[in-house]
Amino acid sequence: MNPSAETTSCAEIAPLLVFYVCDELTEEERAQVEKHLAVCDECRAQLSEEREFQGALGDQPSAGDLLDPSGLLLSQCRSELAERLDDLVRPPVKDRVAGFGWMRRWMVLHPAWSAATLVLLGLAAGVQSTQWLSPSSDIAAIEPVNVRPNPRFTEDQLSKMEVAGINFAPAAGSGSQNVRVQMSAEQPVELSGSLDDSDVRSVLTYVVKNGERFDSGVRLDCLDALKARAADFQVRAAFLAAARKDQNPAVRLKALEALRDSTSEHDVRETLLDALKHDSNPGVRVEAVNLLVRSLDNQSVEIFTVSEPAPPMVQVGHLPPAAAGQIPADESLRNVIRTLEDLQSNDPSRYVRLRSAAALREINARNEQ
Amino acid sequence: MPLPRCTLALANETGHASNPGSALATVISLTNSDDSALVREAQAGNRAAFEELVHRYDRDVLRLALNLMKRTEDARDVYQEAFLKVYRNLHRFRFECSFYTWLYRIVTNVCLDHLRRRQARPEDQAPELHATQQEEAGTDFFERQREQRPTLDPERHLLGQEIKRRLASAMERLSPRERIVFEMKHYQGLKLRAIGDALGTSEETVKNSLFRATRKLRNELGELR
Repeated sequence: MNPSAETTSCAEIAPLLVFYVCDELTEEERAQVEKHLAVCDECRAQLSEEREFQGALGDQPSAGDLLDPSGLLLSQCRSELAERLDDLVRPPVKDRVAGFGWMRRWMVLHPAWSAATLVLLGLAAGVQSTQWLSPSSDIAAIEPVNVRPNPRFTEDQLSKMEVAGINFAPAAGSGSQNVRVQMSAEQPVELSGSLDDSDVRSVLTYVVKNGERFDSGVRLDCLDALKARAADFQVRAAFLAAARKDQNPAVRLKALEALRDSTSEHDVRETLLDALKHDSNPGVRVEAVNLLVRSLDNQSVEIFTVSEPAPPMVQVGHLPPAAAGQIPADESLRNVIRTLEDLQSNDPSRYVRLRSAAALREINARNEQ
Repeated sequence: MPLPRCTLALANETGHASNPGSALATVISLTNSDDSALVREAQAGNRAAFEELVHRYDRDVLRLALNLMKRTEDARDVYQEAFLKVYRNLHRFRFECSFYTWLYRIVTNVCLDHLRRRQARPEDQAPELHATQQEEAGTDFFERQREQRPTLDPERHLLGQEIKRRLASAMERLSPRERIVFEMKHYQGLKLRAIGDALGTSEETVKNSLFRATRKLRNELGELR
C-alpha cells in the first residue's frame, strides 16, 4: 500500500471494491474508496481486475435471452397457465352435489338403514321402469331423430369460405365447449355448436389443414378447439399437415403439442422426425425432440444384440460405444436413433443436442438393464 | 421491464416520490396505481385483470427463472408454480408493498425451492451438467454465445473455453441464495435493497451473499488470469 493512504488500509478497502464497481456503496464509503484509490496502485490494479471480471460477466448473454429468443416459451407458459386457471375456477364436483350432503352424512351414520333404503329404492325403480320402457301405442308420435345429418358445408363451399373469428364458451350443462365461428361461405354465416357437431368440426379441421388461406390467430384458435379431439382420424391428419407445412412456427408448435398423446403412432413419429430434420425454428424442434423422447418413454425398446444377424441396410452410425453393437428391432426406432445421433452432433440448438444425447443414453441404459 | 425495477428501488429508498427523479417517480406511481386497480379487480374475481397483471410481469419472471434454472422445463415449472401461488394467495395481498415486490418474493421463493431440491437430488441434474457433456458441449451457462467454429487463434479459443467451463462449474457450487442474489444483481439489474425485499432478508445479508458469490467465481478463475 502507498504510505500516504494511511487513513484506510487496503484490507478495509478490498471488500468494498466489488460493491464500488456495481455502484452499491453509500456516499461515505464511495468517498473513502476513492480517496484510497487515488494513492494506492495495488488497490487500483485490483479494482481494474474487478471491473474486468464484472464486465466479462455482463458480456455474457443471459439464459433467458438464449433459451427463448422468439418468445415461444413465454406464449406456451401463458397458455398452460390459462388452462390451469380454467381448471382451478371450474367448480369442484362436491359443490354440485352439496345439496345431498345431509344424505351422505345420514348414510354414514346409519349403514344398515341406508342399505335397506337403497335396496327398496332399487326395487321400486326396477318395477316402475318396466312400465316406462314397455312398448307404447304412442310410439308413432315420437319424432324420428336424424343421428347422422348431412353436413351443411360441402368441400367446395369450405374451399371458398372466409373465417372472421372464433369464440369459445362453456356449453351449458356439460364440461365441453361451445364454439362460435363467424364465417362467410356463400353468405355470412355464424356457426355455433360443440365439437360433437360435425359441421363445426369440419370447418375447424379445414382451417387447420389449409392454413395458408386463414389468419394465424384463427388457425391457433381452431387448433385449440380441436385439441380435445386429437384422436379423431381427420383431426389428427389436419394436425399433422399443420405441423409439417404451416408457415407460422407458433401454429406448427401448437399442432405438435396437440399430438402429444399419440406420439407412438407411426405417422406422428414421422412428423416429429421431419420437424427435427427440417424445421428451421428451434422452438418447434425443441418441442419435437421432447415429444419424441416422450414417445420412447412410453415404448419398450426391443434391441437385437450383435450376436444376432442385423437386418441389412442398417447403419449404427455414431451410437455411444455401449449401444453401438445393438440395433433396435423396429425400423421406426432405428430411424429415431439415427436421427437422434445426427441431432446430438449437428443441431444448432444446444438444448436439442443435449436432449438427443440424453435420449440415446437412456436407450442405451434401458438395454443394459 | 425496467420500470417496475425502478419502482422497487425507489419505493424502498424514499417511500414516496421526490427530488431528482420526480418525473420518473410520477410515472412509477401511475404504474403502481394501475397495478393496484388491477390487483383489486383480480381480488374481486376478475380473471381478465389477473391475466393483465400476469402479462405485465411474466416476461421478467420467465427470464429470471431461465437464468436461474438454466433449463426450459424447470423454468416452465417455476413460472406455473409461481403464478398459481399468486392466484391462490392474491386475496392475502394487503398493499403493504408493491405488487411487483410481492410477486418477486413468491418467484424467488419458488426458485430457491427448486434449486435446493436440485442440490439435494443431484441425480435430477440435466444432461448438460454431466462431465462428459461439458467436455463436448461446453457448459450450460457460458456456452450460450456463438456456435463453435474454427478459430484463427486456437490457444485463445481454448483459454476462453476453459474460463467459461470454470465459471460455470463455480456457479453450480454457489448456494441457492448466493446464486439467486448474483443473478438478480448481474442479470436483472436489481439494487441490493430490492433483492433483500424480494428475498425477505436484509440488505446486509444480500451484500454478504453477493460478496461470497463474486469471490468464489473469481477464485475459480485465479489460476487462469
